[in-house]
Parts: sequence; C-alpha cells; structure tokens
Amino acid sequence: MRISSNMIFDANVAALSQQQAQLLKTQQQVATGRRVMTPADDPVAAARALDIAQSDAMNTQYASNRNAARHTLSLAESTLQSVTSLLQDVRTAVVGAGNGSLNNSDRKTIATELNGRLQELVGLANSTDGLGNYLFAGYQSKNQPFMDTPAGMGYFGDDGLRMMQVGASRQMSATDSGADIFMRIKNGNGTFVTQAAATNTGTGTIGLGAVANPAALTGATYTIEFGTRIAQAAAGNVGTGAITTPEVVNPAALTTNNYSVVFDATGANFDVVDTTSVPNVTVLAAQPFTSGQPIAFDGLQFNIQGTPAANDVFTVSPPVGDAYTVTNNATGLPVPGMMAQPYVSGQAISFDGMRVDIQGAPSGGDKFTVSPSTNESVFKTIENLITALNTPISAATVNGMSQLTNSLGRGLNNLDHALNNVLTTRSSLGLRLNEIDALQATGEDLGLQYKQALSELQDVDYNKALSDLTQQQTYLQAAQKSFSMVSNLSLFSYI
Amino acid sequence: MGTNIFSASLSGMNAAQFGLSTTEHNIANASTPGYNRQVVELSTLAAQSTGSGFLGQGVSVAGIKRIYDQFITTQVRQEQAQATYLSTYHSSLSQIDNMLADPLAGASPAMQQFFDAMNAVANSPESVPARQTLLNSAQFAASRFQAIEQRLSEISEGLNGQISNTVTTINSYAQQIAALNGNIKRATANESAGRLPNDLLDQRDQLVNLLNKEVRATVQVQSNGTLAVFIGNGQALVVDEEPMALGTVQSAADPSKLDVVYRYRGNVVPIPSSNLQGGNLGAFLAFRDQSLEPARNELGRVALGLAMSLNQQNQMGVDLNGAAGGALFTAATPRVSQGAHNQGAAGISAAAITDVGKLTTSDYQLRFDGATYSMLRLSDNAVTNFGGVPGTFAVDGFEITLSAGAVAGDTFLIRPTANGARDIAVAINDPARIAAATPVRANASLDNIGTGRIAAAVVSSGLPLNPNLQNPVTLTFNDPATSYSLTFSNASIAGDVVDPIDPLVTGPTSVVTLASTANLTVGDPIVGGGFPPGTTVGSITNGTTFVAQMPVGGATNPPAPASNQTLQIGSYAYTPGADISFNGWTTQISGAPAAGDTFTVTANTNATGDNSNALKLAALQTKNILANGSASFQGMYGQLVAQVGSKTNELSVTSQAQTNMLNATIAQQQSVSGVNLDEEAANLIRYQRAYQAAAKAMQIANTMFDTLLAIGA
Repeated sequence: MRISSNMIFDANVAALSQQQAQLLKTQQQVATGRRVMTPADDPVAAARALDIAQSDAMNTQYASNRNAARHTLSLAESTLQSVTSLLQDVRTAVVGAGNGSLNNSDRKTIATELNGRLQELVGLANSTDGLGNYLFAGYQSKNQPFMDTPAGMGYFGDDGLRMMQVGASRQMSATDSGADIFMRIKNGNGTFVTQAAATNTGTGTIGLGAVANPAALTGATYTIEFGTRIAQAAAGNVGTGAITTPEVVNPAALTTNNYSVVFDATGANFDVVDTTSVPNVTVLAAQPFTSGQPIAFDGLQFNIQGTPAANDVFTVSPPVGDAYTVTNNATGLPVPGMMAQPYVSGQAISFDGMRVDIQGAPSGGDKFTVSPSTNESVFKTIENLITALNTPISAATVNGMSQLTNSLGRGLNNLDHALNNVLTTRSSLGLRLNEIDALQATGEDLGLQYKQALSELQDVDYNKALSDLTQQQTYLQAAQKSFSMVSNLSLFSYI
Repeated sequence: MGTNIFSASLSGMNAAQFGLSTTEHNIANASTPGYNRQVVELSTLAAQSTGSGFLGQGVSVAGIKRIYDQFITTQVRQEQAQATYLSTYHSSLSQIDNMLADPLAGASPAMQQFFDAMNAVANSPESVPARQTLLNSAQFAASRFQAIEQRLSEISEGLNGQISNTVTTINSYAQQIAALNGNIKRATANESAGRLPNDLLDQRDQLVNLLNKEVRATVQVQSNGTLAVFIGNGQALVVDEEPMALGTVQSAADPSKLDVVYRYRGNVVPIPSSNLQGGNLGAFLAFRDQSLEPARNELGRVALGLAMSLNQQNQMGVDLNGAAGGALFTAATPRVSQGAHNQGAAGISAAAITDVGKLTTSDYQLRFDGATYSMLRLSDNAVTNFGGVPGTFAVDGFEITLSAGAVAGDTFLIRPTANGARDIAVAINDPARIAAATPVRANASLDNIGTGRIAAAVVSSGLPLNPNLQNPVTLTFNDPATSYSLTFSNASIAGDVVDPIDPLVTGPTSVVTLASTANLTVGDPIVGGGFPPGTTVGSITNGTTFVAQMPVGGATNPPAPASNQTLQIGSYAYTPGADISFNGWTTQISGAPAAGDTFTVTANTNATGDNSNALKLAALQTKNILANGSASFQGMYGQLVAQVGSKTNELSVTSQAQTNMLNATIAQQQSVSGVNLDEEAANLIRYQRAYQAAAKAMQIANTMFDTLLAIGA
C-alpha cells in the first residue's frame, strides 16, 4: 500500500494523543483513588453508587438518631432509678409507721420526712434534659408537667410520645408519658378498691380483696353495711317489684318494728303497715306507686322498683345481730343472696365475682365500700399517707388505730402499685436501650457493607491501575521513540 | 534528421521540466489540507513516416492529472459528518455529565444533607439550632438545584450562539463553493476536455469536506463542472454560482430556542431539527433537544417534587408557635409560551402543578384546530382532547386555564417542570415555622377506670385541612362500654325547628350539619345542642347533614336549637383497634374501656416536643412519590445521572469508533491521493536524469552537426 507522508505524522500524532489521554486517565484514577471519575466512565456503577451513598448516609443518620434516643432514654432511666429508690425509702418508712408502739409525735416526724420525700419526688417527675425540656411532659416539653392544684397534684402534660427513627423500619418511643408513670396507678387491688367509711365506730378492717370470677364483674360500687334493716319481697308476690336496702335517714325516729308494704287490688297504690304494733298501724295509706320513688317513714327510706302486681307484699324487719347486707349502689338493691348474712371475722364475703374479707368487730351501721379501682397518682398516695400519719389517734377513740391500719394498708398497697408501675416503665426503657444496642450493631455492619459496596463500585484497584500506568507509559515511550525514528527516514537525507 | 533529434530532445527536456515542476508542486503542498497529488501525463508525439518506417518525434505532455478517487472522497465526507457529530455531541454532553453526579457539587448530597437536618429536627423538635440548621440545609439544597439549572441554562444559551456561528460558517462555505464553481466553470470551458484546474477542484472538495464538519451535505457534479450542494432533506445550498443562505430565528414554539431556517428568494422556511443531521449543527440540535432539555425537565421535576411534597406535609402540621404550617419552599409553576404565529387573542391565564406524582418530564403543546382543544404530549405524541370550550384543562398532574379567543392553528407550549429547578427557593426564614408537630393530640382522661388506651391522632384527610380539625372532640363510652358517643361543638344547625303538622304524632325535627355523618346511624341519641331529651338521628340526608328527630309528645314548640353548640351524638360500636375518624383526624382506641371513660382529641397546643410531623417530613426522603409513585427524589435524580452518564458513555465509545473509521478511510484516501515525499524524491531524481539524458542527446545532435559542418570545411 502507498503511504502518504502526511499519514505517517497524522497517524502517529493521533496514536500518541490517544495514549496520552489513556495515561492521563489512569494517572487521575491513581491520584484520586476513584475508578469512576464521571458517570460516563461506568453509568451503572455511578447510579448504583448514588443509591448506596444515600443508603449509607441514611444509615449514618439512623446511628445519630439512635444516639439521641439513647441519650433521652438513659436520662429517663436514671431519673426513674432515683424514683425507685425514693419509693422504696417511703415504703420502709410507712411500714415502720404502722408499729403500734409509736405515738402521735413519732408519726408526725415520719409524716414530715415523707413530706420532704414527696417534694423530692415532684422534683424528679419534673426533671429536664438539661436544656429545659421536661422529660415526662409528653408533647408539651416546655411546660412544667406536675404542679400542685387545689385538687391535688395535677398533670399538665399529655400522652404524646416522641417517636424516633432508630432504624430504616423502626420507630421507637424515646419518651414516656408522665401520666403513665406517676398518675395512672390503679388503687386497690387493681380491679376494685375497698374502703371503710370514716364514720365507722367498730374495729372492723377490710382487706384488699381479690377477683374470684372476672366474668361476673359488673363495674358497680357496692356497700357492705352492718346492722341494716332486712327488706324483702314476700314469697307469694306475682309482680316484678324489687325493694332496695332501707337507708337510715333519721336514727332518732327508728323503731324496732316490722313493716309491710301492701299493694291494693289495682296494684297502683300501696299502704305501709306497722305489723308489730297491735293492732297493726297503717303508717302510710293509699300511696300512688311510682317505680323508684323514695318511700320514707319512721327514719327509714327505700324504694320499690319494677312493676309490683296487685296485692303484692314487701316486708321490712329490724336487723339481726351482726348480719351484714351487700347492696349494689347503682340500683340500691341488695345483691341477691347477700341480704342479712351472718358476720364471721375473717370469713370471705363473695359476690358478683369479687371476694373480700373483713376482720375485727364492726359495729351496727358501719359501712365498707367496694368500688372499681380508679387512678390514684403516687403523689396522692403519699399525700394520703401523710394526712393519715398527721391525724392524731386519741386513746379515747376505739377504732383510731384500726383506721390508721386501714389507711396505711391502703397506702402501702398503692405504693407497691406505684413502684411496680415505675419498674415496668424502667424495664421497658431497658428493653428499648437493648434494642438500640442491637440496632447499632446491625447498623454498623450495614454501614461496613455499604462502604465496601461503594468502594467496589467506584474505587480504583491500585494494583491494576499502577500496572496499567506502567504499561501505558511503556507503550507511549515506545510510540514516541519509534515515531522519531520513522519520521527521520527520508530519501532526501541521501540526495 | 538532425533537427529531428533536436526537437525530440527538446520535447524530452520539456517533459522533464514539467515533471520536475509538478514534483516540486507536490512537495510544496505535501501538507496542504485537501491536496491531491498531481502527476504529469506523457504521451509520444505523432511519429514521422519515413521510408524506413515511423520515426518517433519525442514526447509531449498530455496533461497534469490529480490522483483522485470520487468514491473514497464521498465516503470520507460522510464519515466526517458523522464523526464530527458524535465528538461534538460527546464533548457537549460531557459538560453536564460530571456536574450532575459530583459528590460535592451534585444535588444528591445536598438533598441528603437536607434530610439529615430534618432527622435532627425530629430528634429534638424544640431545638432552635437544629431548626436553623435545617433551614440552612434547605437553602443549600435549593441553591444547588438553582446552580445546576443555572449552568444548564448557560449551556443552553451558549448553544444558541454556537448554532448561529455554525450557520454563519455554513453560509460562508456556501459562498466560497459558489465562487469556486464559477472559476472552475470558466477554467474548464476554455480548455480542451480532460484538462482540469486541479488546485481549484481540490479547494472546492476541501470546502465540501469542511462543510460536512458543520452539517451533513450531499453533492452532485454538474456537466459544466459545477457542484450542486444539498443539505437537510434536499434543500439546495449551492447551485451553480448561486449560494443559498441558512438563518436562525427564535423558535415559534419556544422563544428560548433558536430554529434553523432556509432563506430562499425572500421566503423563510423552517428546517425541522430532525432533518439537520451530522456535523456540529446536528450535534448541537440533538444535544439540545434530546439531552439538555430533557435533563433540565428531569432536574426540575425532582426539585418540584421535593418542594411540593415537603410543602404539603409541612402544611399538615403545626409549627413551634402552634400555628398551622405553611410552605417550606416556593415551588415553580409551569412555563407557558404562546406560539409565535398565533392569530387569536387567547392567552393562558393560570398554570399550576396539581399532582407532583403524575408529572412527566415531557413538554406539551396545547392546540386549537377550530373545533377542539387538545393537548399533545411531545415525548410520545399522546393527545388528550378537551372539547371546544376554553377553560381549565388538566392533564398529567398540571392544569392550565386558557381564555377564549383562540383561532384554528393557535398553539401554546407548556413546559410543566422546566422552571422547577430554577424557581425553587426557601419560603421561610423563621426556624419556628417548621411544622414538626401534628395539629391534634389524643388523650385518655386520668379519671378513666377501664384499660382503654388511645393512639396518637394523625391527620388523615388531605389538603386543605378540615376546618374543624382542631375542634375539641370527646369520646365518651356508654353503659355498657361496647359503644361510645362523640361530644363536639362544630355542629351547625341549619334553619329553625321544623314543626310538623302534628308534633304529637311525629315530633319536631331540625336539620343539623356536621363535618361528616359517616358512622352515624338512624336512631342514635343526640344530647345537648338545645335538643330535648330523647332526640335521635331521624334520617341522614347526605354526607354532612342529618335530621334531628325530637321526641313525640315533648314540647310542642321547642326552642330552636342554636348553632355551634356542644352536641353529643351517636352510639358508635366500639371495636378495639379500629380506626376512629372524625373532623379529618384518625385515631384508634384499644383495650377495654369502662362505661363513662372519656378520651379527647384536641388542638395540640404547646406541643414543643412533638416530632410526629417532622418524622413524616423526614420519611419523604425514601417515599416513592415521583413518576406515579415509582421513584423517590434521590432515586429519580440517580436515574437522571445514569441516563446522562450512559449516553455520554455511549457517545464516547461510538465517537471513538467513528473517528477510527474516519481515520482508516482517510488513510485509504491518502494512500491514493496523498503525497509521499520519498516517492517525490525519486521522481525528482528521475526527471533530473531524464532532463540530463535529453540534454545529452541534444549535445550529441550538436556534435553530429559539428561533424557534418567540419566535413564541409
């Protein structure tokens, strides 16, 4: 083939510049450590690298989210640790206060100590994260959540939980509502609460009770009353009328007579007849009947519900010894089978799925209530204990000590619930902290994988790059040398 | 006989001189672009007939020919056009390739930084420094988009200049070719056939070569020696001695672009870009229409998606001051322009993005054909018809409002995402305005006896938010606790009590308007609102109103219930964990609430510590929002990078291949037509020797004469 002299130069220049471009690129790769200098070098790797870089950055972000969550959770945990030991101290003091050998001033001293502890507890509940954000205020982190009100300690936060993105698909609550920790503590045994009336004169004390049959629970409030009148429908009644437990509204007017409520032939009116007096005395005559309307006479008050039939009779008799009656406060009717039951100290009293026991010697007219558990804040529990300890017991009062025992027993029980509640929260905090550690380990592994993938995609392989560089250098040198040799060849040199 | 020797020697010396001159010419032009080597064509002179036979009379120079291969030359031109096209397209595209994926300058790291800052706000929503950092990152992300768009816009404007320059160059070549046509025509007319003005032809061929670097051109040799040059789909650029002209005008459809036109005797004819292929011009047009503008649209779509989806989520929250969140970014509106040749008075009065997820990166053309308005999607020529009435036309996530007055043939260009990256900006400068909190919160009453728990309330209706969203609502459990009723004060009671003819038989009624009557059933009790006890839901008239039926035999003329009173309505069956939706929020109650337990959903005031909306804002990073829910912002941006990268890569490879092919063809052409200096050196010696030999022959003839003359002396 003919070769044009121009071609010798052009072709060599083109080849040299191509080789130089290659050499420059390899040199740049070595200098920057990146194999993919521009997306065009490897479009697939470049797009994947963007993807992975994003995932890696997000993974890093989750790690710092986890640090933030860990910080908040640890603060809450250490605060609740203090709360736990505080409540344990309070409990020890309260147990000591129940000692019968203490006098009023000893108890006052304990009350003063408890008062200090209470203030300390409020301080802990109002803990901040050091930047003025309250830990247990829900969403309202700038508002002090626990403040005293005339109605006792109030919660001014909310139930909001701060979730944090601690993993790609895991949001974790980094805070706990103050209401859940300090306020929502069920009193009594968690289902119902028993209480002796303040007006009791006997020495009866009532235990916490237990749930015997959850399915039979009604959610109503009951009164266990000693020495109540016995009111019942006559065996031959045809109608659906039911008589409520009579209430003593005027003790002075009470008699020991038996009474009968007798409906007339229409069933629309009734008479109340004193059947003890001879002859019988009609106390109330020809009263029009309205279901649930109070019927009152001789210091007693009750009502008849439902639809009594014509000539139906209801009797009201004086109490029998220590017998007690359990009344459902919602209806006023005695619980079936619980009318005028004989009292034995310590024997279980079971009704509507609940079982309670009363010990000691209640007097007639003494009342014990069994009501559904409500929330009692730990502050309220301690306040109640302080009030109980501050109440002097006079030697003259028969049941002063049993009232104190009742109060302390109830308080201790609620304290235990509060402590339990705090411990539950702490264990949840611990679980979350553990989970964060686990996620942290996973996240670090993942980060390593991302970095490795990223490196494989875009980083230069130095062995290869340096070997390429040497090779390209050799080729370029050879091309330059041969070019100068070839271009020197000319016939003109010889003529 | 002696004269014969003289004249033959002279012709030999002459021929050798021609050869030497031509060789000199070849050597001199060895590196002249487009030069084809020339050779002297010799032939014997007519022989003289003698008695002894025909006696040679010497040599004559028949002509000087250039060594030229028409076929290879044409091939070089075609490959030249393609090679220039590819390498120009490649170098143009390389400008944007690196910018998009740069780990420091690209938009991806800026978006990442923004979402990192959003996570920091979610971690401590009450922290003003974290919020300030977020605003700064938002500013950074917005200015990154703007900067990339700015650069792309500069490249686009630069392209207009390059297109004009190229057109000027093409016109200049056309004039030069036309002038050479004239010279060649006259030179060849005067000469006998076969004697051609080689150097003029070389110059003209070289001009055609250069022209092919600018745009692909085809040529046709005419019988008078002139060359007709055609470009595009047959437009003549040069005919005989007359050059035609190309020009540039502002595009009729898009004023920011230049269109190439053909000027012919006062007419201006636009040449479609698809017809101008090859060369620099073809590369510029292809780069602009197939790479640059789509990239700008795609970048705009990512910016729009980021701005609008964050705005929407921010508007669904409340800020640090408890006020409803606003827009975080200002988002662009579609770019609209009126066709340059529109005759009618219609104009586009409003254009807006309605659904960022449905946006495509295509441009659209709205057309009126005299009867029907239709929208043409330019990427795939899909047409949507809107009928003959001007108004608001919505398609693919945007809508435009066109006024009346269009006449047939009017067009409007709509570029929904073209402004996206240019116009994104941070709309707020108060860090408190970032809406990290949810507008409502749910609470369980501390007096509750049961174990029911209420989940955080979330905003479940879209924008605009339900106006009653933050009105306090109380859920009270009935006895038994298998149902609950709602207490709220946003009921408006329309009109007065309607007393039926006989209230003792049917009871009075009143019409009540609520945000929603979903879940309400006929017979549900209504308490409060001035209604007498025993009032129930009488009938539900539509989604928001119902008739309150007051009891029969109650007051025959009860007072008209007033508006905006607290109403307790309904008896909604309780299912643990089921959604409870009202006034635009949704929550769930689980566990076993007791009768009388209450739960409230109220305005989330003082919620400095609530980060629930910030979490949702941060979660938008990975949410597939764009392209009908198929890609996230960064995913879409990655696709853009990959598209530009792979196109650049493809062009780099094909351009290299094409250049190699061109070089091979040029080598072939050079092997025929190029000057080889060794060859010319040999020719020099050859012609020198020929001259010397001829001169020697003449000397011998002279000696012969001397001998002859000496005989006579």
